[in-house]
Amino acid sequence: MKRFLAVTLGILTAIGGFVDIGDLVANALVGSRFGLSLAWVVVVGVVGICLFAEMAGRVAAVSGRPVFDLVRERLGPRAGLLNLAASFGINLLTLAAEIGGAALALELATGIDYLLWVPAVGLVAWLVMWRVRFETMERVFGLAGLALVVFLVAFFALDPDYGELGRQLTHNPSDDGAATYWYYAVALLGAAMTPYEVFFFSSGGVEERWTRRDLGVMRANVFVGFPLGGLLSIAIAACAATVFLPQMIEVGTLGQMVLPAGLAFGQIGLALVIFGVFAATFGATLETALSSGYSISQYFGWQWGKYVRPREAARFHATLLVSTIVAVALILTTIDPIKVTEYSLVLSAAALPLTYLPVLMIANDPDYMGDRVNGRLSNTLGTLYMILLLLVAVAAIPLMLATKAGQ
Amino acid sequence: MVALLMAAPLVAGCASPAWDDADYGSKAGATAEAAASSVALVRLAVENEARLTRPYLQTLLTETATELGGVDSQFGAVQPPSQAAVAVRAEITGLTSEAAERVRALLNEVRLREIRDPGKAAADLAALGDRLRAFAGEQPS
Repeated sequence: MKRFLAVTLGILTAIGGFVDIGDLVANALVGSRFGLSLAWVVVVGVVGICLFAEMAGRVAAVSGRPVFDLVRERLGPRAGLLNLAASFGINLLTLAAEIGGAALALELATGIDYLLWVPAVGLVAWLVMWRVRFETMERVFGLAGLALVVFLVAFFALDPDYGELGRQLTHNPSDDGAATYWYYAVALLGAAMTPYEVFFFSSGGVEERWTRRDLGVMRANVFVGFPLGGLLSIAIAACAATVFLPQMIEVGTLGQMVLPAGLAFGQIGLALVIFGVFAATFGATLETALSSGYSISQYFGWQWGKYVRPREAARFHATLLVSTIVAVALILTTIDPIKVTEYSLVLSAAALPLTYLPVLMIANDPDYMGDRVNGRLSNTLGTLYMILLLLVAVAAIPLMLATKAGQ
Repeated sequence: MVALLMAAPLVAGCASPAWDDADYGSKAGATAEAAASSVALVRLAVENEARLTRPYLQTLLTETATELGGVDSQFGAVQPPSQAAVAVRAEITGLTSEAAERVRALLNEVRLREIRDPGKAAADLAALGDRLRAFAGEQPS
């Protein structure tokens, strides 16, 4: 019974923790412009993140070390540094976007300008990372993020035109050109397969001291929790397609994106969705900040993690603090957090092979994995995804420039 | 990567010049579409004003007023290439300014207490939205 509860709790946490500012923004934007015609990208992204998160989790459980601890050892310092530079830069940008998202949610709840909330969000995030236990932190914000289920319920309450939505699955209802369509496809894939998710999942496995015995729980989290999180993403797009697309409204702010929940359930729906957005973005703030600390510390071989006291992992905690300050400073320049999110998604997509190739390589290395190396199915899918991610990486920046970032 | 990151917002925010009347008209049409989208969103919120919280409505209207201001100033930075284009500019900036003013007026009402006559405000916004869409429809795509 205790085991069953642990699995259920882990799955619920994975669902709530799956959606972050990138998923919110990308899905609402896409739903309002392209209806459900890009829902297939979410499916492709969820299969991809399940595939690679399972590999990263398995590496952590079998070797007792997170994937990126092994990257430098396996690929050498130069390749490891390239990987670190790209992933750390994008992670920092994502952290800034998440802090901005949490501050915007507080603005929606209080009416007080989000810029006044940004330093407070940064400070509280740092205090939580400093003081709160890893498991507690992960569970509280993952479960609170489940409030976003209101999007799924709101979708049915909005009395959608199912026939039209079904038609959109195979027909793009937008007049926008092919380049814009593919630009948003790339952004959606970047949102579903954000690199920090794998850093965090893999390092989190070590924080929670996973062993081979935990492989079942880990797989349940990945194969049940992440797809249900993906379903939430599609629900956000479906709400936008139901409310905004027929009225030719293109959403561009967080306030606009949550309106469907308010229309469906009034003030209670609005309160729930704003709470969910705050929990999801604040939880992702912690995850991205920790991922910054994990990646730098693991590359340089510093002591890292929340399972040791801060004094024993001083450089890890200093990295968390500096990353948080830099991200807060970036948002305080008054740069639009939604724009930061959009750029972070496309740049994430451009750097996806750098994140996922080492996962695939290490999950195949018997020196680390023993008899738990990838099977034939994992390798076939992994190779197909690497080809896809390389194509996406090549296309991402040219598409961004050609479409003026999707305009 | 860093250079691209810094260049991206600049590229996205640029108002490129209009080469001829057709190009200018196309930009005016896109501006009208963007403004019509903002107006439709505000109408939706105003129609459901009683079901939304005041801080939320205030933030939504502030965001939309800022958006409309941005649309206006971005199009205003494009030089009209001919006298005919000057007339087009006068028409579209008249419509977008009216939209921005209406949203700001609604924002003031929300800040003071509540929207005085949501039904009339929604009807006015619907009419303005129709004019913006009609203008956009007349421009070359």
